[in-house]
Amino acid sequence: MRLLRVPVLALLVLLVAFPVYVTLTTAFLDPAAVAAGRLWPDPRAFTFDNVRAALQSIPLLRQYGVSAAVTVLQAGSQVVLGALAAYALVFPSWRGRGLALALFLATLAVPGESTVIPNYETVTSLGLRDTVLAVALPFLCAAYPVFLLRQAFSDLPREVWEAATLDGAGHLRILVRVVVPMARGHLATAALWSALAAWNGYFWPLLITDSPDARTVQVGLSQLVVAEGSTPGVVYAGTLVVLLPTLLLVLCGQRFLVRGLAARQS
Amino acid sequence: MLPGLLLLAVFSYWPLVRSGWLSLHGSDLLGRPTRWVGLANFDRVLTDPTLLRVVGTTVVVTAGSVVLATGTALAAGLLLRTTGRRVRAVGGVVLSLPFAYSAAAASATFAGLFTPSVGVLDRAATALGFTGPGWLTDPVWAVVSIVLATAWYEAGFAVLVVLAALSRLDPSVLEAAALDGAGELRTAVSVVVPALRPSLLFLVVTQTVTGLQIFTQVQVLTRGGPAGATTTIVQELYERAFGAGVPQYGVASALALVLLLLVLAVSAAQFRLGRER
Repeated sequence: MRLLRVPVLALLVLLVAFPVYVTLTTAFLDPAAVAAGRLWPDPRAFTFDNVRAALQSIPLLRQYGVSAAVTVLQAGSQVVLGALAAYALVFPSWRGRGLALALFLATLAVPGESTVIPNYETVTSLGLRDTVLAVALPFLCAAYPVFLLRQAFSDLPREVWEAATLDGAGHLRILVRVVVPMARGHLATAALWSALAAWNGYFWPLLITDSPDARTVQVGLSQLVVAEGSTPGVVYAGTLVVLLPTLLLVLCGQRFLVRGLAARQS
Repeated sequence: MLPGLLLLAVFSYWPLVRSGWLSLHGSDLLGRPTRWVGLANFDRVLTDPTLLRVVGTTVVVTAGSVVLATGTALAAGLLLRTTGRRVRAVGGVVLSLPFAYSAAAASATFAGLFTPSVGVLDRAATALGFTGPGWLTDPVWAVVSIVLATAWYEAGFAVLVVLAALSRLDPSVLEAAALDGAGELRTAVSVVVPALRPSLLFLVVTQTVTGLQIFTQVQVLTRGGPAGATTTIVQELYERAFGAGVPQYGVASALALVLLLLVLAVSAAQFRLGRER
């Protein structure tokens, strides 16, 4: 094992890192250098031309705005609704609580891809096609944040809630003033995973938007692949622009991601 | 009490009822567009060779990419576990880089690698003195290429999950194993892997479920071609319901329900396996 460790590890790193390396170098290399098959970054060949060409080929900046709006709307709504539901599932006791929880969790097992046809009909009939709202609408409430926050709220000391209730505070007030401040870390985790899913979505945004200006970056990128297939530099520049936020997250937020995942499985 | 109930009713029951209604709606649609056909659409999915092939392709792509991604992550995790702290931190970040890629970004990246003759892989092949295969144009290689792209894309998440699980290992058990004179390989096989079992199960199930729903990679890289060799369930659903031809909501909905059943079967298996411990 000791003997094999270095070569095997090096091979794995090489295989995994290679596409990333190609993304970075090709995006910033002179198209002529790429065409000649030189992938060793020569500082003299460094250029922003590819990025510029990608931004001209499709309205990527405008689509960035769409994606950002969708992400804020979708993740924000999922976390707010998740916190409200988790609160009602944890603190007050009422009949049907178990059933409500089961109804939430059951939706975890339903793949989003199998509900697209009725969702497509509904959103189209509402006349919302081609809007930011349409992209986010089916995902405004999700089971995962409810599940995560229910666990987090259950771990909080119940006495605090009881004391606040005795003081005569309403549910909404307790949630905002008492529960949320104590569960900040978990709320951030829920927001992060919701935002990732919203930013990375592809199938639904592809279906429900038509005009280039209403597309999300992910859909825009797939169209860039078709439009600029013969100039890899431009495609890779577009790819880099699209993955910049998530790349920063992985590079700087590794510990945070690992902690979230550790909590998720326990 | 009342405000909480009210909030739940307005903000949580309503979306739930709606999604429940929508999921029922899917099966309604089977005959609704023009005429009632009963179970004929399901019959087609289970007997039509084209549709059976679609289900088969989906299963093959899923199995291949799950094995590759999970295997890579497990191997990397076991090897990184015993390296120095700095190597582990850097290795962890590099190996989880694919997680930064969305399915669309990963597909775009592999599209560039697979491009005939000017693509990176074909250039490397030429430099080494042989001709690259038709990565996306040969029926068998196209499936392999989709599997490779998917496995790479999934590997980042897998690495994160394995690292998270390793970070929660009980150090005292590992020390005990070391005191007993267990070598690194033995510790890995009889202590670390069993301890990782729940995480590996979680990983395999999550990735199987994602794999069954694979669409983006197929849509960007091959559009299901050549000659349907890489058409998966969701790609077929997309073409039938939203493609260029006359919409066939009936068959597409039957496919959606077959997908749902497959996913439910995987979830049920997870529940079973999880309880066995």
